[in-house]
Amino acid sequence: MAGTLVTTPAKAASSELVIGSVLDIDKLDPHTATNFATVRALGLVYSSLVEVGPGNKLKTGLASSWSFNAAGTQLKLVLRQGVKFHDGSTFDAVDAKASIERILDPKTGAAGRANLLTISSMVAEGRSLTLNLSVPNVPILAALDGVNMAMLSADDIAAGKVGGSNKPNGTGPYKFVSWEATQSVKFASNADYWMGAPKITNVTIRVIPNESSILSAMNAGTIQFGIVTDPLIAKQINTKSLKLFKVPALAYYALQLNTKVAPLNDKNVRLAIQCSIDRPEMIKTSMLGEGAVTGPITSPAYKSDINARPCPKVDIAKAKEYLAEAGKAGGVTFKALVTSNGWATSVAMAQNLKAQLARAGITMELDIVDQATYVPRWLAADFTATLANNGGRIDPDTMYTRYFTSTGNLNKVATYSSATLDANFLKGKSSGKTAIRTAAYTAISKELEDNAVWIWLATPYEYRVATKDLKGFVALATGSLLPLRSASLG
Amino acid sequence: MRLARTSGIAARLLSVLVTLFGISVFIFIVLRVIPGDTITGSLGIETGVLTPEQIDDLKRYYGIDKPLILQYFSWITSFLSGDLGFAYSTGVSVLTLTASALPVTIELALFGTISGVIMGIAIGMFSAKKPGSTRDFLGQLFGLLALAIPGFVLSTAIVTIMANKFGYFPNGYEYMTPWEDIWMNLQQMLFPSIVLGIAVAAPVMRTTRSALLETVDKDFIRTAFGKGLNSRIVQFRHVLRNSMIPIVTMTGIQFGYLLGGAVIVEKIFALPGMGRQILDAINKREYATVQSSVMIFAILFVTINLVTDLIYRRIDPRIK
Amino acid sequence: MKTQSSDKNWIHYYFKSTSGVVGAVLVLIMIIISICAAFGWTTHDPLTQNPMDALQPPSSTYWFGTDQFGRDVFSRAMDGMRRSMIVSIVAVGIAGFVGVLLGVLGGYLGKWLDGFVVRLSDVIFAFPAILLALAIVNSLGNSWIDTSLAIAIVYTPIFIRVARGPVLTIKELDYVKSVRVLGFSSPRILISHVLPNVLAPILVQIALSMSWAILTESGLSFLGLGTQPPDASLGLMVSEAQPMAAFAWWTLVAPSVFITLVVVGLNLVGDGLRDSLDPARRQS
Repeated sequence: MAGTLVTTPAKAASSELVIGSVLDIDKLDPHTATNFATVRALGLVYSSLVEVGPGNKLKTGLASSWSFNAAGTQLKLVLRQGVKFHDGSTFDAVDAKASIERILDPKTGAAGRANLLTISSMVAEGRSLTLNLSVPNVPILAALDGVNMAMLSADDIAAGKVGGSNKPNGTGPYKFVSWEATQSVKFASNADYWMGAPKITNVTIRVIPNESSILSAMNAGTIQFGIVTDPLIAKQINTKSLKLFKVPALAYYALQLNTKVAPLNDKNVRLAIQCSIDRPEMIKTSMLGEGAVTGPITSPAYKSDINARPCPKVDIAKAKEYLAEAGKAGGVTFKALVTSNGWATSVAMAQNLKAQLARAGITMELDIVDQATYVPRWLAADFTATLANNGGRIDPDTMYTRYFTSTGNLNKVATYSSATLDANFLKGKSSGKTAIRTAAYTAISKELEDNAVWIWLATPYEYRVATKDLKGFVALATGSLLPLRSASLG
Repeated sequence: MRLARTSGIAARLLSVLVTLFGISVFIFIVLRVIPGDTITGSLGIETGVLTPEQIDDLKRYYGIDKPLILQYFSWITSFLSGDLGFAYSTGVSVLTLTASALPVTIELALFGTISGVIMGIAIGMFSAKKPGSTRDFLGQLFGLLALAIPGFVLSTAIVTIMANKFGYFPNGYEYMTPWEDIWMNLQQMLFPSIVLGIAVAAPVMRTTRSALLETVDKDFIRTAFGKGLNSRIVQFRHVLRNSMIPIVTMTGIQFGYLLGGAVIVEKIFALPGMGRQILDAINKREYATVQSSVMIFAILFVTINLVTDLIYRRIDPRIK
Repeated sequence: MKTQSSDKNWIHYYFKSTSGVVGAVLVLIMIIISICAAFGWTTHDPLTQNPMDALQPPSSTYWFGTDQFGRDVFSRAMDGMRRSMIVSIVAVGIAGFVGVLLGVLGGYLGKWLDGFVVRLSDVIFAFPAILLALAIVNSLGNSWIDTSLAIAIVYTPIFIRVARGPVLTIKELDYVKSVRVLGFSSPRILISHVLPNVLAPILVQIALSMSWAILTESGLSFLGLGTQPPDASLGLMVSEAQPMAAFAWWTLVAPSVFITLVVVGLNLVGDGLRDSLDPARRQS
């Protein structure tokens, strides 16, 4: 403008980042998104009240501060000022309340509903949202992180403009531009983002349905970022020409046992299985060494001690003793349900475990089915044993209450609960004191391992591959792409 | 004669309709036999958080709550009136999805067939020059070796070598339709077409070679020679006429095979075609998408068969 | 009248062609390997995992190296050859038997049976093989029998077509018509006049289909619908080895070589049979 002495900064050069992903997103509704690709993509568009950051610590998100009352039955969240939705409207407590109400509404079918059931009422006043809880529930704060807890505009919710084919309207660093099914999802930077406009102006997630091809695309420079899950592919990445981000995942692999079905209803048989398993060998052969032994709880602050189990190391002699105790000295046979395409190493892991168990006289027959067939059987607990890849969270409560409390909606699948577990989960949920929570979760972990309810095996890595030009990106254990908001190309 | 011809075509059309009906029933049943449904297909293990009421709601939404016969009729009547159904996950109609995926598959099958025919004829002619020689044996061997390598190995090998050694991977870019960017489109179709073409090339090579060999000492060739015609041209015309029938029949079959069997190539070369659409929909148990897509395929396939058959009859008047 | 294969000299002609001989030798070698594997005469046990020796390149102990579980690749490839052979033989056996039966009966008896056979053939042809395999694997089970069944169903139309064609032509031949008029029974006509002429193209198709069956099984294994681990088929080994090819080339080479040899061998046998059974094609 004429006469002004202040020089306007030069318009930032536009930069484009193309991300290669094997999976396409499957919907645009953040509250019902369960597919990893959908969660990753929508995480660029929507924000939640709190975020999990580097080091798996809880950080402020759309809530700039929070506090519990002394009894732990009331959580007051102070919301960040000056946040706008992509359509220009302001984000305030009314939107936050409406979003949580939508999650709680059974009709939505929200994936995170179970974690918010303790909310008895909410008060939205100006800048703050107060959650009144029916019982003390400290982990609810950690539960408020993620795409399933996305903050939506109250107007959109009222008009029914969420999900379906409605264009996502969030508060995230990137605006949704388009979704060409089976091909790509496109985003453009949000200039009004509360952390400052992202330096990378355009992001495209391109569907390349084969990880080997993703690697080739990176080598040829046609994409600048890749999501890799197969350790065999990760091993081939030339770290001289590409950047490899590797972070231990919160997800874990476990051989889930059905404690209600013979022969696994006998604790001694289950312990025999636990003692026959050589976890390091499984990691070495089926994951090419790309993993870490784990106990039940992967949440970093409450991580299970991998040596606190009857057989921390493989012990075939002890396994045979347990079998004898169970009256099965001659050996035992059972079937394990395995998915052929649920994740890259599922079949390899199953094969190695089968070979390991055979050394103790335990025959595990593999029943390999495709993922879509696996799911209904898993849900109906129609298995004697099953190899599973379950998600982890930074808080053990959100991770396991649905499995191991007697009222958990996945307890049927976990097949085990007890009064002591219920009591300890309640203790962990209601107390804000780390010492008490640690004690409770240690006890839970011990009970699960002592009874060999499941065989917890290992945690994999989350791999991200990027061009050397990508700067300022940090990989998170949750797999979120949110750190792209502070990254730049070249 | 005229009447016989017309009623022949009418009978053929009727049989096509019966076939299509059979396919529609077959696909419907087969899909329902497979465990899992649209709900578990879309939500995965998170289906476990739903209450029974929510599941009923979803069943109604996906249209899978009614008895199977009703579901079948509801689908087939919509299909016949042009409504191919709805892909719930993408919020897009199956018609729209198919309208963008089908051209990709057709283009791929077309280029695959053409490249296969060209490769086959070329190798066939190369081999036939000196039958029984090393050259002949090598030619045949080359054709067979290419055939023996599983498609996904060849595809991945091509992609890896081209991308890593030469930095060339057109399929790593966004897929371009011929109208958007013809040059990029052709590059993206190049290697997948060659891979698919190999399966076509082998039988074409064989047929070309034997047809050429047959012409070597046929009387009419000598007569033509005597009349002063170039033996090469005569050979070629004879080859064409005699091989036309098997090649046309074979091409019809192969084209159909390519339409249905290209899913592996589509995955590795990231082509958004019908093969992937059907496979993804099967994995998500999206019944409408699978059923309608397979029906479209079937219609195309029987149409090609019909056309091939008609050409066959025109070329070979011996067949009634 | 001399029909195509009533001339017993076809064997003599077969062995005159280089490709036919090479093909037969290759197939024979592969059959011997399969038999050895069936009796357990392999260098190591194909299933035993020796994680200490994982991913080792070829050596004197492990002729083709080891895979990620420390299993001997060569022994596994031998067992894989056996399994691929069995699937191929069973699948093509079923498809051939059912296909020829339907094709010959339909072609000869005509009318509604023929119509039904052609319709059935078209329906199966137009059906995506993957979906069929998925349905069978999910409802019946995923043992090798089920994989063979899936492939058999997909290949039946080809045999129907190959069998039916010659039958239609033969039916119209004057001497066949006259023999029918004379009251010769249909089964006798079928056996003594129709089948011998159908035999030649069928034999050729069997050889070709067997080679395709092995490749189809490998494609199905790539998609997780073929042989189930820890059993090995050549196709499954190739699909498992492919992501590791960059740093463990030997895991891919052994099964690939075996597949190539058997597919090439079967195709050459098919070519040899075609050339020797059709008098018009015989090289003088």
